[in-house]
Amino acid sequence: MIGPTGVVVALVVVTIVAAAVFFVRPSITGGITGKILAFVGLCILPGLCIVMGMSFHMQRSEQTKFCISCHSMEAYGKSLYVDDAKHIPAQHFQNHRVPPEMACYSCHTDYTIFGPLKDKLAGVKRIYLQYVSTPPNPITIAGGFKNAQCLHCHLGARAFEENPVHVSIMDSLTSNQMSCLSSGCHDTAHDVANLSHEKFWKPGT
Amino acid sequence: MKLNTIGIGGFFRVSSALVIVGLLLEIVSLLWFSPLSFVLFAFVAASLIGLGILVYLASLVFAAVPASENRE
Repeated sequence: MIGPTGVVVALVVVTIVAAAVFFVRPSITGGITGKILAFVGLCILPGLCIVMGMSFHMQRSEQTKFCISCHSMEAYGKSLYVDDAKHIPAQHFQNHRVPPEMACYSCHTDYTIFGPLKDKLAGVKRIYLQYVSTPPNPITIAGGFKNAQCLHCHLGARAFEENPVHVSIMDSLTSNQMSCLSSGCHDTAHDVANLSHEKFWKPGT
Repeated sequence: MKLNTIGIGGFFRVSSALVIVGLLLEIVSLLWFSPLSFVLFAFVAASLIGLGILVYLASLVFAAVPASENRE
């Protein structure tokens, strides 16, 4: 079965063949048919390859395994397997409260119209830090973790909205004046500094 | 060398060469699972392909018309 990679690669190969024809024999564009073929082979198909390639890369970069393929993210990937319900990311990942194959992206994307694009630009900056400069230690999120990323799913959910603690501070939460990760609330997220002391969940055991 | 002295064949050769190199790099980026593959695609492959398209479009405007097509 041909997957999404196969489809894009097949399109790219067809386009290479088409472009190669115009490289070897540019004279075939003399007639009107040749001119139309040149327009398709050197403009439409390459344009389609850029669009499909970008779409493929955008989707791939939303995968958990892509995020933790960076050395500096390995500990964050490991923290998803901590066997402790107080660890918020681990609890969400292990109980499929977020899609496990897109666990990082679900909580770390900006849910706005250009959010995914902003995330990719921020990702490019992190790649620069990883390969050219030095990644910060500890790694922090620019502008802090916004409640909108929690409320995107939890707002409107009965268990969240009927919880008396949440009811009393709902305005502060929705206006981002008080963080969901405040001390004493849901304050254990990716505690990578203490991973060596944790017990880990092994799927299927 | 002025652009309008280059034949359309020359433009097509440059355009297709840029597109082919860009597409080969796109294949590498698709099959290589690494954060750098995104950079390779977005900043190198897509730029070369886009440049190839621009050269093709420029050929429509600037390419010298062969004398045989210019008699009318």
